[in-house]
Amino acid sequence: MAANYWASTQRRHWLFTREKLAEIRESFREKDKAAHSQFPLPDQRLLNIYFSQQLIKLGKRMSTRQQALATAQVYVKRFYTKNEIRHTNPYLVVTTAFYLACKMEECPQHIRFVVGEARGLWPEFIAPDVSKLGECEFSLISEMSSQLIVHHPYRTLSELQPELSLTSDEVALAWSVINDHYLTDLPLLYPPHVIAVMAIIVAVVFKPSQTSFHGSAAPLAGAMRDGGLNILAALSDKNGSGPPARIQRLVAWLAESEIDITAVIECTQELVSLYEIWEQYSEKHCKELLGRMVKTKNLDK
Amino acid sequence: MAVSPLIPPPPHEAKVTDTPKKTEVNSTERLLHNQNTIPFFHSTNEREVTEQLNDDVRHKYIKDKRLGEGTYAVVFLGHLRTDPSSFVAIKKIKVNAEYKDGLSMDAIREVKYLQELSHPNIIALHDVFSSKDQNLNLVLEYLPRGDLEMLIKDTDIHYGAADVKAWMGMLARGVWFCHENFVLHRDIKPNNLLIAADGEVKLADFGLARSFADPYLNMTHQVITRWYRPPELLFGARQYSGVVDVWSMGMVFAELLLRVPFIVGNTDLDQIAKICEAFGTPTEDNWPGVTRLPNYLPADANHTLPVQGRDFFLRQFPTAGPVGADLLMSMCTLDPKKRSTACQVLQHGWWSSEPKPTDKKNLPRKTDGIKKMGADLTRRGGDFDDNTTFKNAARQLKFTVARD
Repeated sequence: MAANYWASTQRRHWLFTREKLAEIRESFREKDKAAHSQFPLPDQRLLNIYFSQQLIKLGKRMSTRQQALATAQVYVKRFYTKNEIRHTNPYLVVTTAFYLACKMEECPQHIRFVVGEARGLWPEFIAPDVSKLGECEFSLISEMSSQLIVHHPYRTLSELQPELSLTSDEVALAWSVINDHYLTDLPLLYPPHVIAVMAIIVAVVFKPSQTSFHGSAAPLAGAMRDGGLNILAALSDKNGSGPPARIQRLVAWLAESEIDITAVIECTQELVSLYEIWEQYSEKHCKELLGRMVKTKNLDK
Repeated sequence: MAVSPLIPPPPHEAKVTDTPKKTEVNSTERLLHNQNTIPFFHSTNEREVTEQLNDDVRHKYIKDKRLGEGTYAVVFLGHLRTDPSSFVAIKKIKVNAEYKDGLSMDAIREVKYLQELSHPNIIALHDVFSSKDQNLNLVLEYLPRGDLEMLIKDTDIHYGAADVKAWMGMLARGVWFCHENFVLHRDIKPNNLLIAADGEVKLADFGLARSFADPYLNMTHQVITRWYRPPELLFGARQYSGVVDVWSMGMVFAELLLRVPFIVGNTDLDQIAKICEAFGTPTEDNWPGVTRLPNYLPADANHTLPVQGRDFFLRQFPTAGPVGADLLMSMCTLDPKKRSTACQVLQHGWWSSEPKPTDKKNLPRKTDGIKKMGADLTRRGGDFDDNTTFKNAARQLKFTVARD
């Protein structure tokens, strides 16, 4: 992270309201109804899950830092607030976002290497010609008005760890919640510190069992619901001992922090609905729909 | 970012005749565009909105003459379409025609940081737009009065301690602001310190800048032009902090006082030798841990020099006065852990002691600095100027990793 979030281009130009995002997406649909009915795509979040898994595969092959993957995911999101996905080759956009994010996060990879690895993963969608990636990089930078620094919630998490004396399990859990929030629109809607606090609350209060986190996230939604109900019950239980001391401390800290609690709650809800919709996720389905779209429209050429 | 109305230069500046090419660029751009209709997008008509935005920005400016050309950029003088007297510098970054290598790290770094940093002592980036031949154009603040290097070298210009204090003050504030925002500049030297029409010093060329690395992550030590490079980088340290820039500031300070570069090594090894000669030999006593740095060379046991004290600085830099010498000493401390930070530099007593810094409008100035701006903005980071007398000292930096 560099520079100051409060004066950043992220805060000034890349935070949207939900209404604004919906309006942008609706306008894409209005403009090209034909493409939308001809090429239905899964829910945005399911697509995001697909893209993120593809990115992780790509990143693993080149042992990339998590931060660069996170930045790449934000780039893809920003790019698709300016462009209709049905007019692009998403595989190329994802690869380019990855390539640019690596440079931005000071872990650059050579363009040939990136193209080579991407071709290894998606031979039918990535041309061997590196100039395609260079060209797409240029569009990506232009579309983002060359505002390239992305502030992530990870740093807030590390900073709050000693303050809230979080255990390493809780940090790991909050960390994966942050990883998951890139699958939603949250990075375009809320500042990173709000996301970080949300992740901490989820980790400390709901404590979903660690095992349910990876792969199928379905049980997590249930766990969160139950955990939440338990907390609510504890909170409203006037005669009882109240919630555990640990949670009381967190609540006290939150009250003093002047953080936007409503925003934190909305983030939590967004995350819950992500885990719910995750149950419908099918990699094969996403792959087929995207493949058909790219091939039929010759977007890979 | 709003474009501040800039003070027009005196009329004779506007006609610096360096083969003033009228911009035929636009027509060639159009030609190129026809052969190359953004094949990445399936249909271009959907791009209207963003393209329109970009065009709006592009049409805000008119490119005038070419100011300079380097390996990675061409700089044009330009002005606002609505106001011919408000000048800007347009830095057009050369994108390899076939996009063979992607955008260079220099260009990326420059755009990345200038987009976020806004401070009176840092060159302002007013706008960015892409032209039809898919080049990136940075619209930068117009700084017509050259750079500190010109002033230092020009024997017709006389300046004193109060002027040095004013320039150093502006430099120190710019560097402090970078560090406060977690950005290392990594190429501070007199010809990266440009001067605005009103005399304000502006830190330019962020081609080597980067954000502070996370703890324990390595950074490259191949940064900062050699004469301004601190000993820890010469010894190959991969983890370092903002005080690398403070050392460079110290070297600029010394150069302003002496009017020649202070420590002029011909090679990296020579640079280390000369630093030792000037300030003393680094040892485990005066710099714990130095012997464990990757490129540390043990000094000749018979030839270790003690670390220089205040007397040396006073003797060497009498114009700085005792308090100034003390500040310089704190900036040139061998051990990076003991060297002043940019913030400590600003808190030093020198600024408030006599003489008071010269008011910026009364600072000595050059009038023909505009060509120099062109040259400064097109140079690659870490390089020496091609047209200096020290040409043979220029070395090729190897950025195989850092620059991708």
